Amino acid sequence: MIYGDRDLGVIVQGATGKQGVFHIALMNEYARVVGGRGVVAGVTPGKGGQEAGGVPVYGSVQEALREHDATASVLFVPAAAACDSIMEAAHAGIELIVAITEHIPVHDTMKSIAYATLCGCEVIGPNCPGILSPGECKLGIMPAHLFSRGNVGVVSRSGTLTYEVVDELSRAGIGQSTVVGIGGDPVIGQTFADVLERFETDPQTEAVVVIGEVGGNLEEEGIRSTDMPVVAYIAGVSAPPEKRMGHAGAIIEGGEGDARSKVRRLAAMGVPIASRPSEIPGLVRELL
Amino acid sequence: MKLLEFEAKKIFSGYGIPVPKAACIRRPGEIPSVLPEIGGAVVLKAQVDVGGRGKSGGILIADAGTAEETARELFARTIKGVPVEEILVEERLPIEREYYLSISVDRSSKQPIILFADAGGVDIETAARERPDAVRKATVTPLLREVPPFLLRELVGGAPRGIGQIINRLYRVFLEKDALLAEINPLVTTPSGLYAADAKLIIDDNALARQGISVNRDLTEREQEAEKYGFSYVELDGTIGVIGNGAGLTMSTLDLIEFYSGKAANFLDVGGGADQERVMHAVRLVASMPSVKVIVVNLLGGITRCDDVARGIVDAGVPQQVFVRLAGTNEEEGKRLLAGHGYTMFESMDLAVRAAVEVSQ
Repeated sequence: MIYGDRDLGVIVQGATGKQGVFHIALMNEYARVVGGRGVVAGVTPGKGGQEAGGVPVYGSVQEALREHDATASVLFVPAAAACDSIMEAAHAGIELIVAITEHIPVHDTMKSIAYATLCGCEVIGPNCPGILSPGECKLGIMPAHLFSRGNVGVVSRSGTLTYEVVDELSRAGIGQSTVVGIGGDPVIGQTFADVLERFETDPQTEAVVVIGEVGGNLEEEGIRSTDMPVVAYIAGVSAPPEKRMGHAGAIIEGGEGDARSKVRRLAAMGVPIASRPSEIPGLVRELL
Repeated sequence: MKLLEFEAKKIFSGYGIPVPKAACIRRPGEIPSVLPEIGGAVVLKAQVDVGGRGKSGGILIADAGTAEETARELFARTIKGVPVEEILVEERLPIEREYYLSISVDRSSKQPIILFADAGGVDIETAARERPDAVRKATVTPLLREVPPFLLRELVGGAPRGIGQIINRLYRVFLEKDALLAEINPLVTTPSGLYAADAKLIIDDNALARQGISVNRDLTEREQEAEKYGFSYVELDGTIGVIGNGAGLTMSTLDLIEFYSGKAANFLDVGGGADQERVMHAVRLVASMPSVKVIVVNLLGGITRCDDVARGIVDAGVPQQVFVRLAGTNEEEGKRLLAGHGYTMFESMDLAVRAAVEVSQ
């Protein structure tokens, strides 16, 4: 529970699209089960007055916030509209934006994150599956049935690989405190360091699984900055240089960001490293 | 997408960055018609997208008398396996000093970062290691459309003042062309002023459409075909075809293949919504690469319907053996469908990958 609990009020931007409608319903199903507030309104410019996934839709974030109490927004808008939507939400006073949208041009991401930061708003993603704190709240598209409540945090650049690891943890009887998908793009809002910092102050979280991949060095940066007990898994040890491995950010550039050197640097810091997802639960258990 | 040197230079020049007089030719026979404009002393540069082009014999020096013969020689070469189809014929500059200048995306600060060094024409990573004081860096908030003068002063230091103006022009290129990298290496001083002697420009793949670029040349034909379906697809050099949903899980599957001492031939990420038809196209596409001997399908998702995926695999009807790991709804139905057509479904990705590696060897 590091970004919000069951009292968190949520709006969805891009509410009337197929994904928006579908995931509003799923998020609210989860909210009903845990007794949370969930998604209270949707926003799609030009579609105010409609309904999507069982919630009222407004033409702007400001209009939605006039009628509803919400501090977080989950974004499903098309890539071309994402920059504007992030800035709109931040400007209207939203404190946390979870940007699910993928394929946003990186210049748009840099600009909108800079603007959100000026407004005091945190951005998770883009190109991410969102956040799930089992028993508390779900912001995004993670499949809730794989999760179980407990005291292990998970922070990851990936989507389905995160579900794989959560599934492994749950099957091994290891519950999760909060699972955060920070996104697979080269530029993202909340980084490993930011999420680990929150885990440090979270009384529920006793250890964290860091799921990284090729590209950049945010994994090392984050783990170096924390005192939290951590297990790491880095995907892409077999990735060749200069090939984009599915995620826009998963690329070894100028001889930097390859998985093996990441693993080496993390090992040198004394971090236990899983060489495949199925090894993670065993390594986590040693930390608890 | 990477632009070639002459394309990047054309853009830089359009933003007021001085570039040498030059012409791009496709045949040696064009030399006599372009030389009068450029002058006698020239450099011939193969327009190929490979690193270390000069060291690999992609750049030759010539004079009026030897230019045509030298061009013929360069056209006959392959540079690191890439045939030379275009040559940039450029005036040879009387270089006084060389500098390095680049603007790229800094993941840590989430901002554009400018690198300037008074050591040009070299590998900047090496320069930064050997002489860290020679490399100056500055990040710029993306909310500004230009580099503020104080930052320019910090970057340029004692180097010629005109460089500040070039940095600002390159910054505009970087912003307006959706660049991931805009680089001038070397930026040179000559008696007649500053020039971009080489140029590199990489455009964000996610911005190609708004930059008016319809085909991503960095992709192979099969990779372009994959893009049409919204798949991410990458070709490698092993024998196992890999299909997964989500980039991380797909990469993890590749790593597991390596863990069990196999080699992947390619990988395809079907993305969200793995329905029957998309799975069929995915399997066919991966199977169409001649080196693929066996295929691993690793799909995990809360909302993925395993029976649909199973039908897609069966519909594809490819000759290779397909090893399947599926987790989602209707798992039992999916398993039954696959078994009925001679395919095996595995409980975990470890098991599916191990079985595929065994058969591939």
